[in-house]
Amino acid sequence: MNDLVTLWVPLAVLGLGVLLLLVDVLTPPKKAAQADVGWLVAVGLLVIFGATFLVDVQGVAAYGAYRTGPWALFFQRLFLVAGALAAFGGVEDVQKRTPGRQGEYWLMMLFSLSGMVLVPGAQNLLLVVVAFELMSIPLYVLAAHGKTDPDEASAKGNAAEAAVKLYFVGALSTAFTLFGLGLLTGLTGTTELARIGAAPLQPLAALGLLFVLGGLGYKIGMVPFHMWVPDTYQGARAPFVAFLSVAPKAAGLAVIAGIFAFGMQTQKSLWVGPLGMAAFLSMAIGNLLAVTQSDTRRLLGYSGVAQMGYVLIALATGEEFGLAMVLFFLVAYLFTNLGAFLVVHANAEAGAGFEVDGLAGLSRRAPKLALALACFLLSLAGIPFVVGFWAKLYVLLAAYRAGLVSLVVAGVVLAVIGLFYYLRLLRAAYMTEPTVSRPDERFGGPALGLAIALCVVAVVGLGLFPKPLLDAATRASHDLGVPAAAPHVGAR
Amino acid sequence: MKDHLLSLIVAAPALAAFIVLFLPAAERVAIRVVSLVGAAVALALSVVALVTYDSARSGLQRVEDYPVVPSMGVHLRLAQDGWTGPLLLLTGVIIFAGVLASWSLNKRDKEYFFLLLILVAGVFGVFVSQDLLIFFLFYEIAVLPMYLLIGIWGASHAVPPKGPFAAAWKLFAVGDKQYAAMKLTLMLLVGSAAILVAVFALYQASGGTSFDLTHLAATKYDRTTQIIVFPLIWLGFGTLAGVFPFHTWSPDGHASAPTAVSMLHAGVLMKLGAFGVMRVGMVLLPEGTAYWVPVVGTVAAINVLYGAFCAMSQTDLKYIIAYSSVSHMGVVMLGAATLTPAGWNGAVFQMVAHGIMTGLFFALVGLVYERAHTRAIHKMGGFARVMPGVAAFFTLACLSSLGLPGTAGFVSEFVVFLGAWKSGHFYWTIAGVLGAFVTAIYVLRATRAIFWGPGPTEEFHELSDARHTEWGALVILGTCLVLLGVWPRLVLDAIDVGSSTHLPAALAAMGGKP
Repeated sequence: MNDLVTLWVPLAVLGLGVLLLLVDVLTPPKKAAQADVGWLVAVGLLVIFGATFLVDVQGVAAYGAYRTGPWALFFQRLFLVAGALAAFGGVEDVQKRTPGRQGEYWLMMLFSLSGMVLVPGAQNLLLVVVAFELMSIPLYVLAAHGKTDPDEASAKGNAAEAAVKLYFVGALSTAFTLFGLGLLTGLTGTTELARIGAAPLQPLAALGLLFVLGGLGYKIGMVPFHMWVPDTYQGARAPFVAFLSVAPKAAGLAVIAGIFAFGMQTQKSLWVGPLGMAAFLSMAIGNLLAVTQSDTRRLLGYSGVAQMGYVLIALATGEEFGLAMVLFFLVAYLFTNLGAFLVVHANAEAGAGFEVDGLAGLSRRAPKLALALACFLLSLAGIPFVVGFWAKLYVLLAAYRAGLVSLVVAGVVLAVIGLFYYLRLLRAAYMTEPTVSRPDERFGGPALGLAIALCVVAVVGLGLFPKPLLDAATRASHDLGVPAAAPHVGAR
Repeated sequence: MKDHLLSLIVAAPALAAFIVLFLPAAERVAIRVVSLVGAAVALALSVVALVTYDSARSGLQRVEDYPVVPSMGVHLRLAQDGWTGPLLLLTGVIIFAGVLASWSLNKRDKEYFFLLLILVAGVFGVFVSQDLLIFFLFYEIAVLPMYLLIGIWGASHAVPPKGPFAAAWKLFAVGDKQYAAMKLTLMLLVGSAAILVAVFALYQASGGTSFDLTHLAATKYDRTTQIIVFPLIWLGFGTLAGVFPFHTWSPDGHASAPTAVSMLHAGVLMKLGAFGVMRVGMVLLPEGTAYWVPVVGTVAAINVLYGAFCAMSQTDLKYIIAYSSVSHMGVVMLGAATLTPAGWNGAVFQMVAHGIMTGLFFALVGLVYERAHTRAIHKMGGFARVMPGVAAFFTLACLSSLGLPGTAGFVSEFVVFLGAWKSGHFYWTIAGVLGAFVTAIYVLRATRAIFWGPGPTEEFHELSDARHTEWGALVILGTCLVLLGVWPRLVLDAIDVGSSTHLPAALAAMGGKP
């Protein structure tokens, strides 16, 4: 019984799924009421999110395999918000494309979420893998959801390509992860996260860690395992990509933080190099490849790769402060990237397509949408008074404190390249004239507008008042139990 | 004394900007009036701040402190030292005149005034910040709106490229407003990147508890840190100050920008760069300064001469003024590099004097361009007959530019060269004086080519003189220029207090001798 209480967040999400299943089955197909399913998901997730502030449960469940506390809760809230925003953003799209089988979409999303909320609490490698797969498999289905649409874009088979790429790469990465974890478990004889650090320092442990990093790196789109990112982002439906580009990445980072910074903290020398290298490569390659993209979804995909590089810098510190900054960054990235994808989606809904040129004259056609896009782009670029500035600043500061100065220098320099392509989008939206004028354009429905507005409020609000989020991130990071920051350097 | 004058100065334009944001775009007069009121309030408060600064008490006054992220030592800490007042005054005058000069704008007015006011709020913020992170934050606010302001409202290809590189320039769209905007933004942000690393280094080396400038200044950094960090700050802020060879964004940017933006950029923003080098680099890192100062001064001397020679060979009126800014900013950096009281006073005075002078220049150039639709000086001539007022003010600005006694330009150049002589680097003085001489050649040539001499040709017979609000801008700027020339103590007293507060640390590192 106690276990059930401790596991209440995953169970609540699952319960919402069951409720949804009932509603879906009881509603006749082709009925207008089907649209309410999406709203039910969004509101339900928000209710669970609200409940996490009221219910105070800490402790372990399932013989120590699952532990809830500020660390797990922080991630769970992040996933719930991401799910709710993606639901608001996607409800009209799902209704429009697949009116007869909307329940399917939302059910898969909730199953994925139920796995996701288990991930940060998992203290046992078996649960980590199971929860991670529970999260991933529904995502493959979701990526293919638009496949049979009568839509001209997916008639080319983009959705199928997106799903197949995501699936093969995902399956391969799972194999990698399992192989790596197998090596670690074999060396230590335990699957408990807290004790795998006892693995002797030998090449086999390093090999195991590399495999794990590779496997998880696929999920977060880390270079050199990022090839699927742009293709999948381009092929799948934009509201789903908005979700895919933030929540699973956060889950992947939760696992990386759990295994590396927490589990293997005594063997930092083994993983800090590869992680730093991956951070650098992600920033460099993500930023450089984004410059040449002409499709906004691919551009945002590569930009996401680069953003993950910044998170990995802070993660590579392996310290409490650095991990707090990882959490801060993830929240900033959640609102920013999700919002940016939704704006791009809204613009495409108006018939302007996903090309960068399609944004032309957005400031005339839809001033509010253009302003929202400007907020998100400035936040991605790390400009003051939006949350992305603090995120980047804190990440770099954490790295500087930990002595990773070369990564800091690389980070700030590459950020300028990043600014170049974010400004390209801004230029299209603000400086070029609309190519065609359609006075009756509709930029999605009210739910999409609500999702974008919420993202803007979060991006600007947290940009002006970062303190509450910073405090929450610091508490959560403290809960994980990694070493505190290193002593200062440079003073006389 | 607890008052909120400084935060009000920052808030006034920001508030006006947000009011403008919520006005309907069709209310063109209301938008302008709100902007002007915002600028006027900021100007009036700046004057109050300057006049009521207690020179006898020196040090930081009107301290305001609001915690932002206390756990990391980030505070919104505002205060005024001796340098602050004159620079606030400069910013206030320029934005007030800038709004007046933008009165006839006829393209997306609402967004334009919004961005302009936000930018100015950032500039005010930099001058009053006493917290390095907030300083940096305001600095970014002041730099970024420029991208949109130039990209949307700027002008392209006033004078088509000629000469050996013309084909390449055409290929890369050099001179295009979007090219200029992107170049400016990226170059300045590479500078920001360097500054950010330096900020981290200072924060961490001082214990990682506070970004307060006073705290950072009280820390003794080890020699290696100082020698590594100082050039980051010098080149980071220096990019904005037009330090050779990182000045190349400035002519393109200033030439492409709309009138008020050129005024603000050359008049105020470039000063932010020089101010940053002095206030952050030289004050916080005395040993690093001592190590690098020969390089800083020599590069500044190159700036003075190189900028002047470049200006001499331009045929586009705006490029002439833009290169003259590069040259005059060299005088500021030269004064800073002398590490003498006279040099520092001269540097800050030159910031104010050059800011007002170049503001006047760009306002006039904007007027001429708007009427004549060309910036090529060889097409002009004899304009004084059709626009006598503009001609008179242009001549005044030219005289200040070449340093004629009785104008503000004379005071600053004189004091800087005096400081340079005292510092023992006599060749800096020679370069400076030579620069002033070359300046005289190109400004007088430009004035003659445009306003005097034969002409105007047939197509320019109908040009009109300045009109209502434009007169306002010209008169204010012109008055300040003469007033500072004949009565420099108006701001020099306060500047001297600031210099004597900040200089001792830098001097101590040199063993008391510059």
